[in-house]
Amino acid sequence: MAGKIKQTIDLIIKEKSMGDETIARLTRAKLIMMGINPHKYDIQSQDDPMIITKLLQAAKDFGLSIK
Amino acid sequence: MNVITAYSEKTSYEECVKEIKEQFGSVIPKLILFFASSHINPYFISDEIQNAFPKTPTFGCTTAGELISGKMLKNSLVAMAFTENVIEDFKAVVITNLPKTTSKNYQQAGDIFEKHFGKKFSEMDLKKYVGIVLADGLSKSEEKMMEEIGMLSNVLFIGGSAGDDLKFENTYVYGVGKAYTNAAILILLKPAAGFDIIKTQSFRETGKILTATSVDEKNRTVIDFDGKPAAEAYAEVFGASEETASQLFMTNPLGLMVDDEPYVRSPQQIQDKNMVFYCNIKEGMELSILESGDIIHDTQNALDDKINEMGEIAALINFNCILRTLELDNKNLSGEYGQIFSGIPTIGFSTYGEQYIGHINQTATILAFKAKQD
Repeated sequence: MAGKIKQTIDLIIKEKSMGDETIARLTRAKLIMMGINPHKYDIQSQDDPMIITKLLQAAKDFGLSIK
Repeated sequence: MNVITAYSEKTSYEECVKEIKEQFGSVIPKLILFFASSHINPYFISDEIQNAFPKTPTFGCTTAGELISGKMLKNSLVAMAFTENVIEDFKAVVITNLPKTTSKNYQQAGDIFEKHFGKKFSEMDLKKYVGIVLADGLSKSEEKMMEEIGMLSNVLFIGGSAGDDLKFENTYVYGVGKAYTNAAILILLKPAAGFDIIKTQSFRETGKILTATSVDEKNRTVIDFDGKPAAEAYAEVFGASEETASQLFMTNPLGLMVDDEPYVRSPQQIQDKNMVFYCNIKEGMELSILESGDIIHDTQNALDDKINEMGEIAALINFNCILRTLELDNKNLSGEYGQIFSGIPTIGFSTYGEQYIGHINQTATILAFKAKQD
């Protein structure tokens, strides 16, 4: 399976920023600092369970409810 | 009146505070920030300065060198008094036992901010609020702290890690008359008339990349880059030997690239082929090898750009990495660096690491304030 990482990243940024480009940029920067570079993943990227778990935890810590 | 800056190079803490008080005059400021050389007894200075200004909360930390409008100093005390023209409101929280903090400690800090400002910390507007963070510079805890704060709020916290004049023994942060070690002070500000942030470093990408494939994150150590012992992989990029690789650290640190902007990770030493850094690197991080540029030129440009954007700047707080200060000292450029800030009321200090989104090195993070008209 592929694409889940990009999908989750996009969802986190969308939910967190609510369309505010400054907050979207800031959220991308925070993810990079956590070791997940959003620019590295596209729809073809293989689903890596470790990265997906990390992203879901990040979403939870951001106060977002993403499944 | 917007801010007043003051400094003292006296050797006794009583005389230092007396001089600062004379320079501040009869103004009762909203907030006082001060940065003091570690040669000044931390417990005495924190108490003395708060007693001298009983109606104003005072906050600060120890340093590895100080900065005041137009000058870089050593073994001194620098202070800035903010009036309500610059800071409308603020709330400070002390985070103690920094290396053992959990998410709960930061949530509690967020709750205190929320109670004070009557607004959820998670919903505060990052254009109206900004935070200052002063952290123990030897706690190795800044990354976790910044990550936790970043999870709770969009508000940007910028600041520096306290120094101790390169003794690497103990650093202190100061809050309302008390000195704390293994602690951080978070000050959430509501500036009166606007603010902005300058993040400047003098490095360019070389186009060469190292990927951390094995790390000891807690100890800020990279064991392997690209599957090879870290020191070997780093040295190989330059055609250098592992023995001489450390000579390249100051001019060729690594950068975590965010929007084409390096967030610098500075190597500290080689230990058994591992590379120890001044901030942590996570497994899988791709890092650009950087080459150094001109600190004076780049800082001046960054400040000029911000003046053009903001119009008049009423005050600056400059958190300037000790590694930049050492480079400036080595090149006899400290005076010139200080002069960059001669036209704007400025205080700052040489830090053991800078805070902006995360924990970074070899950077100046600068908070710039506008002021309401009298």
